[in-house]
Amino acid sequence: MAPHSDVSSSTEPTPENPESGSTTSADPQRRGRVRLRRAAVMAVPATLATVALAVLTAEGALGVQFAISGMPFTVTATELNGTGFEQFGGLDNMAPGSPNAGDTGGQVLVVTSAIKNATLTKLCQSVDLGGTNLLITAGGGKEKVQATDLTTDSTELSGDAAFDDIEIGNDASTLTRAGVKGPIGVFSQQARTVRIANLRQTNYATTAGVFTLPGLKLRFSSSGC
Amino acid sequence: MSERPRRGLRPAFRGWRSRRPFWGGLLLALGGVEVLLTMRASLKVVLHVGMQGVAGYLLPGLMVVLGLLVLFNPAQRLFYSITGVLVSLGTWMTSNLGGFLLGLLCGVVGSCLAFGWLPDQEPRRRLRRRAAKAVAP
Repeated sequence: MAPHSDVSSSTEPTPENPESGSTTSADPQRRGRVRLRRAAVMAVPATLATVALAVLTAEGALGVQFAISGMPFTVTATELNGTGFEQFGGLDNMAPGSPNAGDTGGQVLVVTSAIKNATLTKLCQSVDLGGTNLLITAGGGKEKVQATDLTTDSTELSGDAAFDDIEIGNDASTLTRAGVKGPIGVFSQQARTVRIANLRQTNYATTAGVFTLPGLKLRFSSSGC
Repeated sequence: MSERPRRGLRPAFRGWRSRRPFWGGLLLALGGVEVLLTMRASLKVVLHVGMQGVAGYLLPGLMVVLGLLVLFNPAQRLFYSITGVLVSLGTWMTSNLGGFLLGLLCGVVGSCLAFGWLPDQEPRRRLRRRAAKAVAP
């Protein structure tokens, strides 16, 4: 790829646009520029498509995926109902020479929680962007937020939890409920259903999952959730 | 480049910039970088989410590549910009609402600029007047 791009950047007149380039060295005043009408040919449908995506998401017709790590990220919900819940511990390695390593030898204990399907009421997510928070709220109306394959690493889930068919003390490699398998020989627990009231998680680690967000509202705010 | 006399870096860069949709390509690539910066989830978790999880990295990566291609191979800018705008829109679904909207907007604006760019245009009226003034006295 590199030699090809070198060729085309130094010798501009290509079969695709033979009119270009030939006069640039002779007349430096002639230069390429953006023709507004031409740009509008793409800008108008692109804007419409952006709006359509936002509207479809706000109606809950389109699932969006979140995969966030390394920034302060808060999720709250008044109620979470989930099926297929797993939780297991594991060791995660920091980058070599990380200043956070301290006396831990560069390893941190993380707890991975996974929920196969979850329904959340009055979801609020806030991302700290340094000074301002991006606030995403959804599911306040009749339709609830649906999340699938909700996976979080190293978080404390706080809230009032209730489980059905809970199995505590399984080996993490034998988990079946949410489709994630942990490392062998690690303590774990799983449950068929989970119900957490006043859910709140604040974490700097990974959160991932596919969400449908009916009633989506995006706004910037000075305070988080 | 080599046959022209050296006139310092700035005019050379100006000349290089004038022969490609510079801001379009740059915005598209930067939009991709921004989306990638918001992603940073560990690969294990991403693979668990599945195909959509992999796409979450694939699409912003493509944005960066397409932005660089617009810069370094401007002859094919139509294809790159059309692909770029579609991929940018796709990041809404796969990558944190398109890097919390910012990267998506950068990518779409950059693609539109690259699409609307034409080589070898008449200088703007303001520039032409300035050039005439420079010649006249």
